[in-house]
This record gives sequence, C-alpha cells and structure tokens, in this order.
Amino acid sequence: MNRLLPGFQLKSPATAAALSVAAAILLVPANYLPVLSTDFSGQARTDTIYSGVVELWRQNLWAIAAIVFIASIVIPILKLLGLGWLLWCVRRPVARNPRRETKIYATLDFIGRWSMLDVFLAAFLGGLVQFGQLSTVTPRSGIVAFGSVVVLTVLATQAFDPRLFWRKHGSSPS
Amino acid sequence: MGPPDATLTCHFCGQIHRAARLEPGEKARCVRCDTLLAHGPRLGRDAPLVFAVTGLALALPSALLPFVTAGKLGDHQSCKLFTGVAAMWGDGMRAMAVLVLVCGGLMPIALLASIAVRNLPDRFRALRQNVRPALRLIRPLEHWAIPEVQVLAVLVALVKLHSVVNLQVGPGFWSYCAMTVALLVAQNSSEYDSDPADNASGEPAPASS
Repeated sequence: MNRLLPGFQLKSPATAAALSVAAAILLVPANYLPVLSTDFSGQARTDTIYSGVVELWRQNLWAIAAIVFIASIVIPILKLLGLGWLLWCVRRPVARNPRRETKIYATLDFIGRWSMLDVFLAAFLGGLVQFGQLSTVTPRSGIVAFGSVVVLTVLATQAFDPRLFWRKHGSSPS
Repeated sequence: MGPPDATLTCHFCGQIHRAARLEPGEKARCVRCDTLLAHGPRLGRDAPLVFAVTGLALALPSALLPFVTAGKLGDHQSCKLFTGVAAMWGDGMRAMAVLVLVCGGLMPIALLASIAVRNLPDRFRALRQNVRPALRLIRPLEHWAIPEVQVLAVLVALVKLHSVVNLQVGPGFWSYCAMTVALLVAQNSSEYDSDPADNASGEPAPASS
C-alpha cells in the first residue's frame, strides 16, 4: 500500500478527515434521493429518509418515527460533527481534556452502528413485500448513498486513533 | 493471579496495566482514561463459551427457517434471513447486499466463533494458538457484527407493515433473536473488553483492578 501511496497511513487523522469529508458529501444525496418506493394496492409513493419519518409520524407511529429519525438522521450528523470536533482537538498543540475527548470518541464508536437500521429495513422490506400488482417495496438509489455514509463514518472512526490525545497530553504509558 | 509478566493494554489510550484475576462483580478500569478494560465473570467463567456455542448452534435455523410470512388477499410470501440480500443483489445494489450479508450474518457468526475459541478450556491451547492469526483478523471487523440492529429493523418493519399485510413471524426470526441475545451475553460475560491475545505476554491474562 505504501509503495502505491507513499506516506499513506491507514490509521491517521488525515485518513479519518478524508473519510469524514467523503461521508459529509454523501450525506446530501443520502437525504435528497429516495430510499424506498412502496406500492400498496395501487397507492404508490416514493420516500426519502425524512419523508419516511414524517409519514410514520402521520400514521401515529410516533415511537417508530422517533427511532428511525434518531438512527438515520440524528446519529450520522452527530457522528460527523463529533469526528470534526475530535479532529480539531487533535490539531491543538496540547490536549486540554483527553479523558473527555476519549469518552466522546468511545460514544461515537458505539452509536455509529445504529445508523445501519435503514439499510437493514430497506433490505428486509424489499425481500418480503413482493406481491406483484398488489403490493411491492423496492429499495432506491438513496439507500446506496446512505449505506455509504454509514460505512465511511465507521471507517473514519476506526481510522482515528484516540491515543493521539494522550501523546499530546504528555503522559506516556507506564 | 495471572502470569507475573502478563499485561493488558487500553485500546483507547495505550496505557499498559499489570494483570490480576478479577472476582465476580469486580471491574477493571483504565487508570488514565477510565475505559472499562475487564470485569469479573458475571455468569461463571464458562459462560462466554456456553453462550457462543449456543449462538453458533442457532445460526443454522436462523438462516434456513422462515423469518416472516406476509399474506395479502390469499397470496403468501415467505422470507428468510438472506431473502432481502438476494433481492438487493437482484436490484443491482450489490455493495449494499454484501454489507447487509456481512453485518447481519457473516460477522455475527465469525464473532461467536472467535469468542468460543478464545474461551476454550486449556486442553485446547494448541488449537487456540493455531487460530490466533484468524482471531487477530476478526478483531478489527467486530464493529461490523450488528445483529441487534437487524432485529430492531425487522421489528420496525413489522410495525410499519401490520396495517397493510397479514404477518406471521416464523421460527427463523425467533432463532435469530435468540442468537443475537446469545452473542450479546457472550460478549458481556467475557472477562476482557479487549482481546487478551493483544497482551504483551501473548497469553490470555486477567487485568488489574
């Protein structure tokens, strides 16, 4: 890998930043493009992530709407903001509060997986609801963009090394 | 007590700790960043192995038995664990199909196998040593084992669909739920939150509290 890309390090702030920027760019089509087309007895509709949440809310499925909203909209944005904050912190000459920053990193590392909810949902519905003329559910291109955002944010978190905070803090492992 | 030179490294801050055996209920936290490093066995020292083997045994019915059956005006459609993966693959979304297959099927099984091998009794030490390179490969991929998210997605889908089609939950889904619980219990009853194979001594070693 290094012969092809001299100086490239898999686990570095630069790699984490590049992956985060790519995820942030893909977040636009992920939210703009439709993720699911449904046709129930002739009532066809195409939903983006947000319009899907609104529809669930309109059907009085508030808890489900809240789960999908948090997993598919709040968490990806929070994760990108959090990674941005950590990357900014690591650029400071001295780490101010490495313990707090490590906890933020651990939280981002844990919550990222829940964004996969919409991808699993699209796959399951697409496999189950295939009744020809009566009812069909088809995943659309937005789910590819959204899935890519999830993968890139997970990879960005893995590429970020929280030990950097402690090296800047000056305390060496004993 | 563990071997005198056994150590455990915090994977968040790199702090190295001297190892010590923990009693049930005891927790070992990193002295520097407060990350949980290890805890005493909550359900007995064999619990991770027992639950990992249980999870592996449940993987087969999860994959082969019907997950959910949907009915509409006399027409019935049954799906299994990987029906959605096949549908996505057929729709040309191959990368997403592979992602769902890996996160919902392959990695949970690999993680269960990894926990089972790590916790094998001492008489299987040779086997443990032989598969250590494979365990090291699986370790960074553990993030991708997320069957609990798949279970939540199926529950969301069932609530969403119940007003438009008749639904019947099959034994495949219950097996998958049980496999997910077994995986979570096996993970949480393991003594180590980091892989003891990463220890400087190279031997599984308890952590200091």
